[in-house]
Amino acid sequence: MSSSHDSRGSQNFEATGDYFSLDDILATQERIPCTFQTEVLNLGYIDPSLDSSNIPKGTKLELPFWLAKALCSRRKQCVTIDLPKHYKEVYRDVFNADANVVDLHKLGPYFYRFGSHLLHFEHPESPDIAKSLLKVFQARFRDIMDASQNAYDQDMSKMTEKLDEMEKVIFFHGQKGLKDLQMWETREGEKIKISEMVINHRKRKRTHLDES
Amino acid sequence: MSLIRHSLYVGVVEKPPPPPLTEEQYGEMEPKYPEGGHYLSVLRPHGDDCVRQVFEEMRALFEQNQQDVEKALDGAQAEMFPGIRMRHAALERNKRCVLAYVYNRLQKIAQMRWEFGSVLPADIKYNLAEQEVQWFIKYTKCLATYMRSVRAEGGLDLTQDLKPPKSLYIEVRCLMDHGEFETQDGGVILLKKNSQHFLLRSECEHLIRQGVLEHSVH
Amino acid sequence: MWSCKLSTGTVYAADKEPRTEHRVLVLVAFEIDALCACKILQYLFQCDHVLYTIVPVTGKQDLERAFVEHSEGVQVCLLMKEDDLENIPEFRDVFLEDESDEDDLDNDSDDPETGQKKRRFDEAALIKRMEKRKWEENRKKILFEYTEFSGYGLSSSLLLYDMAWKMSKDTNDLLWLAIIGVTEQYINQHVERDKYMESIAELQPHVSRLNHRPDDEESSISIDCLKVMFDNELRLTMYRHWSLFESLCHSEYTTCKFKIWTMKGRKRLHEFLADMGLPLVQCKQKFTSMDVSYKESVKDLFKKFQDKYSINEQDLFLPSFHAQYGYKNRYCATDVIYASEAVLQDVEKEYSDSDNFLHTLDLLNRSKTECMEKGIEMAKIQLSALVKQVQSFLDANLVISAGPFLYAFVQEGTPDVKFFAKPINLARLARFTLEAYCCVSRNKKVKTLPFVLGAHHNSDMGTMLVIGIPPVLDKSLKNCFGKAFEQAAATTNSRTLHDFFDSHIIELKSEDRSKFFDALISLLQ
Repeated sequence: MSSSHDSRGSQNFEATGDYFSLDDILATQERIPCTFQTEVLNLGYIDPSLDSSNIPKGTKLELPFWLAKALCSRRKQCVTIDLPKHYKEVYRDVFNADANVVDLHKLGPYFYRFGSHLLHFEHPESPDIAKSLLKVFQARFRDIMDASQNAYDQDMSKMTEKLDEMEKVIFFHGQKGLKDLQMWETREGEKIKISEMVINHRKRKRTHLDES
Repeated sequence: MSLIRHSLYVGVVEKPPPPPLTEEQYGEMEPKYPEGGHYLSVLRPHGDDCVRQVFEEMRALFEQNQQDVEKALDGAQAEMFPGIRMRHAALERNKRCVLAYVYNRLQKIAQMRWEFGSVLPADIKYNLAEQEVQWFIKYTKCLATYMRSVRAEGGLDLTQDLKPPKSLYIEVRCLMDHGEFETQDGGVILLKKNSQHFLLRSECEHLIRQGVLEHSVH
Repeated sequence: MWSCKLSTGTVYAADKEPRTEHRVLVLVAFEIDALCACKILQYLFQCDHVLYTIVPVTGKQDLERAFVEHSEGVQVCLLMKEDDLENIPEFRDVFLEDESDEDDLDNDSDDPETGQKKRRFDEAALIKRMEKRKWEENRKKILFEYTEFSGYGLSSSLLLYDMAWKMSKDTNDLLWLAIIGVTEQYINQHVERDKYMESIAELQPHVSRLNHRPDDEESSISIDCLKVMFDNELRLTMYRHWSLFESLCHSEYTTCKFKIWTMKGRKRLHEFLADMGLPLVQCKQKFTSMDVSYKESVKDLFKKFQDKYSINEQDLFLPSFHAQYGYKNRYCATDVIYASEAVLQDVEKEYSDSDNFLHTLDLLNRSKTECMEKGIEMAKIQLSALVKQVQSFLDANLVISAGPFLYAFVQEGTPDVKFFAKPINLARLARFTLEAYCCVSRNKKVKTLPFVLGAHHNSDMGTMLVIGIPPVLDKSLKNCFGKAFEQAAATTNSRTLHDFFDSHIIELKSEDRSKFFDALISLLQ
């Protein structure tokens, strides 16, 4: 996506070009514990347990990233944020010990993407989070690549179900490379294939018929 | 008031976190990874109602903000400001979700031109909104006009030869009873299941892509 | 009548023009020879950019339907099936009148009259009426004589290979296909040994020519290339892919020779192996895992001890060829035939006949080794079922003499009956059963009797398949049952279907069995 989208919202998408990205929309939906620093009038209903029409100062709520970000600009902070627990020091220590055993899908599934969004808040621990994200990725990358390059036809769901969404994309790209190479070697590459959408369309039709 | 409640409900509090448009309406959004990356495998029906609902919410949010801004201008700036910001953020978020929804569907529809051809299967067409159908027709027209203009004589069919051709003719197997097929030279061939044919590659590539024929390579 | 003699001329000689505007319709019967021929033809057509359509046909009705459906815009039509007798009647004696039906046969091109078939005789009708009646009588007589016996001619794949060679388009792969086609004819007793040896002699120079490689390093070629070699093969079914013992128990000759279905026979087989110094343990494990010393000496040992067990060398050894590509893939011609016939007659419900046809074409593709391995496993299963069936025939004395011929039935409900509802397997079972019966029967006369075998075919239709084969001693392999079946059916009004290209196999309503057989007995007396 080009930079023309940067004026579309208060958030700047120029760098990432993610304005239309469904992944990014889902990632920015992740929640962050927030504490309101000012009273907000007439919006008490967003938390039924508040039992008042306003949100009083000092209320603690988990807000989605996009909202937290809007309320936490440097100009006037309406809320202060706390780190989600997966990014806190306790977890960072776990990652340090062995990043490969962690189920990032459960902690994410947009662990890296959401993590890098978190850095916008300039939380005191931000530099540590950044370092940790990079380290986790580096530690896991070797295994992901190895697995993608050595699994031709096996069922890899055991492995992939623990991956972050971004890691999955990398894994499948690796596998596609392997398959393309194999196809090239067996001259399968020149074969014209049925298009992907047609296959899916048929599958869907068939399951639909089976159900009815 | 109730509408705004709904809007922020959807947008803010409910768990698991749905974007203002729930997942369902993004076309099929469950992440499947046959080749990596998110993709909407087949379009779901256009979520017209849901989009309208979001617009309603946005209107309500906007009107509420309008009132609050007037109050703020009257001097109540400090109290009003956080609420305005929150609603504004929700507006922006809703806008982004709707635009992304429309955009991603159009991407998919464009891709369909290349994979299904210029005529869509009826059940897929049924899932498109009227504007989307119009867009598809326009896209097809644009593409056709462009393809005609590429070379002086006859144009160039870009949907052909997606893989570099190795030979003029190829052998194909018929995967289903497809009926009669007219070749470029006017001949008629019956495409019957499990019959094999040696055909001009350019003639049958579309049928292979649509799953009627299978290309057999030795 | 549905014969097709191709000579180099038919397709190619006629036009030197670019042939792309013509489309050739190739109709292929369900026989390995036909499939091989079809593959050779495919290659040749692809080289020359001749457009074609290939349609498998199971029988005469299918042939007609396929022709009607696909013939639009087709210029030439070829029927791939093994040829009938060689003395085909003069073209004008048979086909002059029925031009519309016979277009599909690109017939006997030796006959200069071929071009006449389209000419109508309307204008001269009156004057020629007398002549015509005479001609018709003559035609009937000729046709009767022609169809009285049926047999097989030259392998079509050999014919087509010859054509490819003359066009300088022969390759090792095509040669291998021709070898398979030729061997199939012999294995299924479509031709006698002399004819087979003639074909082998014809093929051998091609094999040496295409597989000649100087010994020096530089000109050696990749192991993945196809290498075809002549060999005096042991006639033990698929022994390289089975165990020696299993193979001995499933090969027609050895099974009958040792009467393996008896206790005594088994003992004799063990004795034979012991004599040769082959430990049973070694014989019962996969041949590939056998000790190299044994593996290499198997052939010599058989040769050395054949006389003691009065084994006929001609029956145990077959001059043949084998192919090697890659390190692992080594198949002799008969292996390929058993595997491909098993796939061609797959009884799996989800596959139609034409699916099986395509799978068999795939199997004959050298690159698809997994298809071949699957085919060999299927062949083992089918063969075991066959041997079991032979044993139960003999154990229960189910082979009965009707006077002029012997007969037996595979009843509905017999285990594995489904395998014998397919013509190739049924024919194999018939030959195996007759051979085995002749070995155990004390009556010398049985060797001069033909054999009729019936097998349950289709429960819904209530039909059975009936096949007639010539006696063991008749080496000419001429089959008289085609005509006999036709007449027996006609005189008794039995509901039969003479749809198979092989006229000696028919489909019969099970209810009409007894009257049909009564008529058959009186007919052959």
